[in-house]
Amino acid sequence: MVSMRQGPNRRTFLGAAAAGAAFGALPGLARRAAAANREFKIGLFIPLSGPASLFGPTDRACAELAAEEINKSGGILGRSIKLIPTDAGGPPAETAKSAVRLMLEENVDLFIGSHDSATREALVATVKGKIPYIYTPVYEGGECAFNVYCLGETPNQQAHPSIGWLAAERKAKTYYLIGDDYVWPRKTNAETKKYIAANGGKTIGEEYVPYGAPNKFEEVVTRIKSAKPDVVVSTLVGADNVNFNRTFAGFGLDKNIARLAFLLEENTLLGIGADNSRNLYSCMGYFANVPSPANTKFKAAYHAKLGPKAPQLSTIGVDCYAGVNCAHALVAKAGGTNGKKCMAASEGLTFKTAAGPATMRGRQVDKTMFLADCKGTQFEVIKTFANVPSGSACKT
Amino acid sequence: MSAPRLAFANVTGGYGSTVIVRDLNGAVAAGEVLCVLGRNGVGKSTLMKLLCGYLPCRSGHVLLDGRPIDGFEPSARRRAGLTYCPQERPVFDDLSVRDNLSLMHAARQLGPLRPYFERFPILERRLGQHAGTLSGGEKKVLSFVRGLAEDQPLVLLDEPSEGVQWENILHMAECIAAKKAAGTAFLVVEQNLAFAERIADRYLVMDQGRAMLEGSRADIDRGRILGHLHV
Amino acid sequence: MDALIVTQAINVVYAVSTLAVLTLGLAVIFGLLGVLNIAHGEFVMIGAYCAYLTQSWNWPYLVALPLTLALCALLGAAVERIMIRPLYRRPFDTLVATWGLSLLLRKIAEAIFGPGFHSVTIPLPGTVQFLGIEYPIYRVVLIAVSFAVAAVLMIWYGRSRTGSRIRAMVSNPELAQAQGISVRRLAAATFIAGTCLAGLGGVMVAPLVPVQPFMGLDYVLRAFFVLVVGGLGSVPGLLSGAAAIGGVDSAISAASNATDGYFAVLVLAILFLWLKPRGLIARG
Repeated sequence: MVSMRQGPNRRTFLGAAAAGAAFGALPGLARRAAAANREFKIGLFIPLSGPASLFGPTDRACAELAAEEINKSGGILGRSIKLIPTDAGGPPAETAKSAVRLMLEENVDLFIGSHDSATREALVATVKGKIPYIYTPVYEGGECAFNVYCLGETPNQQAHPSIGWLAAERKAKTYYLIGDDYVWPRKTNAETKKYIAANGGKTIGEEYVPYGAPNKFEEVVTRIKSAKPDVVVSTLVGADNVNFNRTFAGFGLDKNIARLAFLLEENTLLGIGADNSRNLYSCMGYFANVPSPANTKFKAAYHAKLGPKAPQLSTIGVDCYAGVNCAHALVAKAGGTNGKKCMAASEGLTFKTAAGPATMRGRQVDKTMFLADCKGTQFEVIKTFANVPSGSACKT
Repeated sequence: MSAPRLAFANVTGGYGSTVIVRDLNGAVAAGEVLCVLGRNGVGKSTLMKLLCGYLPCRSGHVLLDGRPIDGFEPSARRRAGLTYCPQERPVFDDLSVRDNLSLMHAARQLGPLRPYFERFPILERRLGQHAGTLSGGEKKVLSFVRGLAEDQPLVLLDEPSEGVQWENILHMAECIAAKKAAGTAFLVVEQNLAFAERIADRYLVMDQGRAMLEGSRADIDRGRILGHLHV
Repeated sequence: MDALIVTQAINVVYAVSTLAVLTLGLAVIFGLLGVLNIAHGEFVMIGAYCAYLTQSWNWPYLVALPLTLALCALLGAAVERIMIRPLYRRPFDTLVATWGLSLLLRKIAEAIFGPGFHSVTIPLPGTVQFLGIEYPIYRVVLIAVSFAVAAVLMIWYGRSRTGSRIRAMVSNPELAQAQGISVRRLAAATFIAGTCLAGLGGVMVAPLVPVQPFMGLDYVLRAFFVLVVGGLGSVPGLLSGAAAIGGVDSAISAASNATDGYFAVLVLAILFLWLKPRGLIARG
């Protein structure tokens, strides 16, 4: 059997090598043009290294699922999508270097990014609107650079409805804000404080812990205990969020003080654990267990593709699914990747997301928001806010 | 006649690729003291390190009671019956005098050391002190006592008298004589000829890594030894 | 207000004692063998994952201890034999080698458990009345265990035969060999003890922190700072380093905020590296 297979295989190989050599003789430019005609290249910036890399596998799987679906139905302008996953988990300057390489060497047509705001700012400054850049995750709002499109939840979408609900339903009056010390928590908290005041509440504490440092929270929690707020609003991310919430419950504060977190998704809740999630709320545009028809269909496709060991779905990951679909709709409507045409096409653009169709306005997305109460390690949606506007409108 | 306690044949070696000791031969029988004499830097301590296993022999063999021990690491040679008191850093500076003396004794009793304390009362007075606080000569005395108290059939001493007061050197000589009478074999590296003359049965005089003179004390002329000890 | 101050004071004690325990493994390996084990945090991680496994198999929490000790000893022995033994007295080489080891261990953890967070349920939940305030029971136990471990280790190292022999080996390895101590074996045992202590620390903190492949990074740097400030090779040095780093961090975090606390730790470590590189209490 082995020897029978070897013969034809070697011949095929030799034939291919000969063809390759002939093809290699063509002028380089022609080859590049031929390749560009075949594929629509998307640079996909996701964290593949560093602590945020726990989101990487889901990001990638969701983007690949969208690309597969689009390619099956003809691709983008007849070109099949080729995703180039690139690490955005390192320092922003490193990611910007990768972006330059992708533009110059790979002739990438479009960027999709799911990473922190510092990296977004570095990429915006590097790409300078030369190709469309779709930024997918939850963020602080207000990104209006040329040819940049933002899909994630904004403070208006998270804080506005959830603070209103806490004030009305839980009669919350006093709030304590705790976050990691970087742009997203600070800007989000600035907005949050406005909503607190607008609802007749009072911010009695606001503090930040160094981002990326090995933080521990005994001191912060002790201070919160002494301040006795009705609600703690957390803009901590990842391990810090887990650590804080575990310490908070460990000190017994979960009995009387409600917690609202703005980046609390399935992975983080698993880390916080069932014993520590009493009186804990999350407000996001997606939870994996929301039983909408669109989500059920999406999840069936996701699990059919990835099997039982599929990485945990969460809002960060499915936003990459939305990102690729948005790229498809945007480029198809604009007829290409020209910045001005894409900007114009973006207004009122509708595209597919895991939660159902979304509409872009002012290069941001209006969203249906879910307020969930954590029951063990599951989110139980207790309130749905339909079509919450992003709160920022960028020029198109 | 059984094999000598320690024998070395054609021993050649040094540090890395530098050969310091060439083609040395020698033997020490039970109840015998061999003194290795020579100026500074002629390879006496290197010979000790080759015999104890700190340096590999480039060629030649070392035998303990007729058994080759060439592949043994130093700790295994100690267990095979070889005690070594080095010239440099002779004690554990970070340990107390007591710990220095009792480190390897299961019960950590100082009882067997009593006779030594009578000869060297300074040690008993300093038992609780860190050995690092002792003077150079006191460290040598401590090292010497530790070595002899190990009660092994073969003892290698590298310049035991260096920096030691004459009175204590005499005590050392008496200790060696007593042990020798009980059958212990000694190989002692020395520069102090007066001390060597009190203890040695035989001499091995080295110069530039080679053996210059060897034989029993009576056979070797004092003047010729002095010729090799002084420039 | 009193309750606030008392609780923050206990927080400082808690920070110092846990930091001391989490530094022990590094202190043993760095302080005694001169090997800066960058993978120290990953051995802490292994302990934490052992705690997680123990719980997910529904075994009593204390089973995590023998499980961790076995795993860390096995791994420590293999690492010492293959990676460290040829590199003793080559500090930079061991640094690079153990850095590579840390990446490898992290990747292995990721391959087995996935990149996500795992949570270990606190074996002793709830709070206890204590000096007129309420404090989590598990943390109180942790403080007590940390002090006990440090005290036992200090007495053992100072008084036991093996402790003396380790001190002898560290002080003068050639002479230790001359007295029949197999430095090779004792060094291997010391290395294994260090990895086991790191794993032990992991079991202790696992219920308090997110268990995930990157968790080790949190521990190695802080442990290194403790040794920089405290000095190498003695238990009092370790304790004073932990008191300085953990105490300053916790006290300033309590009085001001966590950013200032972190900043103070960095400044402290840099000042010591610069002005007093042998630390508060050098070996001796």
